[in-house]
Amino acid sequence: MKIGRLDAEVHGARLVLAGRIDDAAGMLGDLLGHLPAGDVVIDTSGVTFVNSIGMREWMRLVRALRERGAVTLERVADVLMTQMNLIPEFKGVAIASFHAQYVCPSCGNEATPLLDVATHGAQLRQMTAPKLPCPECGSAMDLGDFPERYLSLFRA
Amino acid sequence: MAHPERKAQRSLQRLVGATLCPVEVVDNLDALLALVDEHTIAIVDAGLANTRPNLRDKAARAWIAVPGEGLAPAEAPIVEALLTAGWSHVVAHPMPILAEELLATVQKVIRGDTFGLEKYIAWGAEIRSYTLEDARDREAAVTALAKDVVAVGLPDRVGSLVSVIADELLANALYAAPVDEEGKRFRRAEPRDRSRPLTGREVVTVRWATDARYLAIEVRDRWGTLDASGVGARLAAGGKQANASTEGGMGLPLAYACCNQFVIGTAPGVLTEVITLLDVRYKPTELGRSASFHSFAGTFGETP
Repeated sequence: MKIGRLDAEVHGARLVLAGRIDDAAGMLGDLLGHLPAGDVVIDTSGVTFVNSIGMREWMRLVRALRERGAVTLERVADVLMTQMNLIPEFKGVAIASFHAQYVCPSCGNEATPLLDVATHGAQLRQMTAPKLPCPECGSAMDLGDFPERYLSLFRA
Repeated sequence: MAHPERKAQRSLQRLVGATLCPVEVVDNLDALLALVDEHTIAIVDAGLANTRPNLRDKAARAWIAVPGEGLAPAEAPIVEALLTAGWSHVVAHPMPILAEELLATVQKVIRGDTFGLEKYIAWGAEIRSYTLEDARDREAAVTALAKDVVAVGLPDRVGSLVSVIADELLANALYAAPVDEEGKRFRRAEPRDRSRPLTGREVVTVRWATDARYLAIEVRDRWGTLDASGVGARLAAGGKQANASTEGGMGLPLAYACCNQFVIGTAPGVLTEVITLLDVRYKPTELGRSASFHSFAGTFGETP
């Protein structure tokens, strides 16, 4: 299904979003009718752009879904994660995994690896990002930004 | 200028002294206040300023907060507190950014020369400009800009930030800036997919340039209606006030969150210019966590 510039696929209680969440995402709320009542999982790894209007629609969607059951966000896109961390309302939303900007101090490679929250939860709650192997040289990569930009939602 | 550390005083004195204006240095606010009059550009350690944020109520040509201890990056809570208190100039970053930013800011104030990204970019850097011919050109302009930025060798991360910044600044210029005779922002609720030829006061331009230190993006509208007095507090509040039930309001805070310096210039009723600077030399963590903020009022060309 196409919502503005966003592709949405519904597989049972699982929603997969890819593309842009922008001014054309006004019909994002229509997805409620395509999802079963109760708990849902949303995968946003394919989201490439979010602006302030798109964020407002995303907030509305997540808020409405949370009124019907638990919402778990999987593979949250980097662009969405940094913006959600600006907004306290998202604290408490279950995040299973997310992409973050990493930099390799050895070779300078920049990448957005996937962080699994169950694996790194204790560190994330302490606002510490784990080191991850660089896909190019194998050295330990560091989070390439301030932890607050990605981890405020996990703060203990 | 007031700064408690002698070494920082020396650095700042050299910096501001480059304007060839007389510089007086003190180490506390009472001594500073005794010196300040409406001709003074007062430069204050941000930590000191935060102990008395209403300091800026005393008439001066400008009040500028600069990083505190060792001229390390200003702490984000202090930047936010000063923006909330209405400070028009808060420098967040350490040297050498501090030097470049402070000198440009002081000279803009001294000369009353408010507008143009040229003041932040080294001579020799080419400036690319786009003029939107229709409100629906926004997405194409943003896409072209992000593509051009990556094409000059900047990382995808910067391209992604540029997309968000340009999109929000253009949306602000296209839909929030226009006012009717009663001051009502009559385009705020206009559908964003509607065609609207942009002529006369509706013209919106975007320019960008990079000198491998900064990537600068400048967006101008011809309305000059941005309320510069309240915008610092809005930026400081950021997403804390985001509410799914309200219309807009998050655009400028989002652009601020994506950049390292956020510079507003307004000629009331004539022009609003927003310049954002991304530092492309350093890792984000080597800079201040909050972006610097500057708001200038000036005159531009002829009134419409």
